[in-house]
Amino acid sequence: MANHIPDDVFFSTITEITTKLRAKEFSAVELTRAFSDRLERLGPRYNGLALSLREQAHRKAREADDELKRGRYRPLQGIPYGVKDLLAVHGHPTTWGAKPYAGQVFDEDALVVQKLDKAGAILIGKLAMVELAGGGGYRFPAASLTGPGLNPWDRTRWSGGSSSGSGIATAAGLVTFALGSETSGSILTPSAFCGVTGLRPTYGLVSRRGAMALSWTLDKIGPLCRSAEDCGLVLQVIAGGDIRDPGSAGRGFSYVPQFARKPSDLTVGYAPADFEEWADPSARTDFKNALAVVKSLGVQMKEVEIPDFPYAAILGTVLNGEMGSIFEELIRSGKVDELADKRQIAGLKASLDLPAVEYLKAMRIRSRVQDAFRELFVDVDLLLTPSRLAPAPPIGDPLDRTPAVAAPTGSRGLSGIIPAGNLAGLPALSLPCGFADKMPVAISLVGRPMNENHLIAIGRAFQSQTDWHRRRPPITT
Amino acid sequence: MDVTRRTLATLFAAAVAAPGAEAAPQASESDDDKAARELMRNNAQQLAKVSLPMATEPAFRFRA
Repeated sequence: MANHIPDDVFFSTITEITTKLRAKEFSAVELTRAFSDRLERLGPRYNGLALSLREQAHRKAREADDELKRGRYRPLQGIPYGVKDLLAVHGHPTTWGAKPYAGQVFDEDALVVQKLDKAGAILIGKLAMVELAGGGGYRFPAASLTGPGLNPWDRTRWSGGSSSGSGIATAAGLVTFALGSETSGSILTPSAFCGVTGLRPTYGLVSRRGAMALSWTLDKIGPLCRSAEDCGLVLQVIAGGDIRDPGSAGRGFSYVPQFARKPSDLTVGYAPADFEEWADPSARTDFKNALAVVKSLGVQMKEVEIPDFPYAAILGTVLNGEMGSIFEELIRSGKVDELADKRQIAGLKASLDLPAVEYLKAMRIRSRVQDAFRELFVDVDLLLTPSRLAPAPPIGDPLDRTPAVAAPTGSRGLSGIIPAGNLAGLPALSLPCGFADKMPVAISLVGRPMNENHLIAIGRAFQSQTDWHRRRPPITT
Repeated sequence: MDVTRRTLATLFAAAVAAPGAEAAPQASESDDDKAARELMRNNAQQLAKVSLPMATEPAFRFRA
């Protein structure tokens, strides 16, 4: 048995590590110890770690080794992972990234944690996040109990949020995969900025039981991984119906790449404007190259435009209504003033003044948004767009700073796809596709509800032609 | 008693000077508070421009 885990392993996929575990190149205990050491040593460097779970991880790793010796294999056996600190792990603090909840402890694991445990995965830590998943509208990256998420590629840049620690830990090889959550952009953004592969599942596919609620009708839990395939393997474990989650779609997910439609049978909708005028100039070459790779896979391409709705206003109104209700006690008690970000505090307080009729109007318009996307998906199977139009911003910049490049007039392109996709409950997969200004950039594939296999199939094909997902940040240990 | 104009003026002045008759001082709003409220106003204005047939129901369903 190896006493030293080679560096490559920290950046290996689930399948690669599983092969090595079963070949006894190292034990689950050795692997878990090495990842725990790395997470504890490097996690704080990037403000990515909320809590190490070394002791319980070690116990689980010993069980995994016993089973491996007996030839009993489970899907994610021995694989070290982390979860965003809005997912409950019983007996340990679940802080939601926010000072008012710093001492909060739940007595039951979130369902996704229970499922990963049954699959043999080893939970080694809780990962940092933007306070309360940023629902009130935060102005600065420092809106967190653990400080601003620092990007492993350049610590002067933001990691993205609100699943900041999940992006950091996966990119820096501190975990093999992480769970994050998205209400509007919180999986896709850290995935894009940190150069990892992130999957936002269809709304309702993964149970929210045991996760902090920010918005009942918008919240989704999903994986941040080293590859599209890994996203499929993790989703297969965490997806499934749950009668205790009122938003549950009551369906599971089977990762079946062998039954995915051939690329030549798929039509991908895209907007040239997204890859040209809308994109930051530093990223345009990489986005155009990524578009060319997707075309080269043999898919049919069709130019499309996003249906015309004020997505940010709709999502903001829905979010304010639900978030205000969820956090009403926090706000009225005054404890909201303990949060780190003043804009977030103001946003939460203002949400209590939203008239019910405004919330209902937004939810009625949302029905029309869903209808419009159903129509769009008659002609295309997937949408392709840059995940974020520019690389990660500097850590000190306010997040509402006026962009250097003015929004172009003319075609809407697919701008607004993040709030739009979340309003319609659509799945999305973010794939690293290059570097702009020495920072990762990514493309997103957005699909019909419950079509994750198509996204992952194209994602795998893209990653078989490129190696952006294999690149490693310059980390000195 | 005859109520003279002087009496009325005195009564009026006393009423104005009485506790509770003063208007409550306006709480100053921070820039962040203003920004949050402005955002909500903008959202409402944008939603008001969207055509919404009366028959359109919200994107959630109640089941008994």
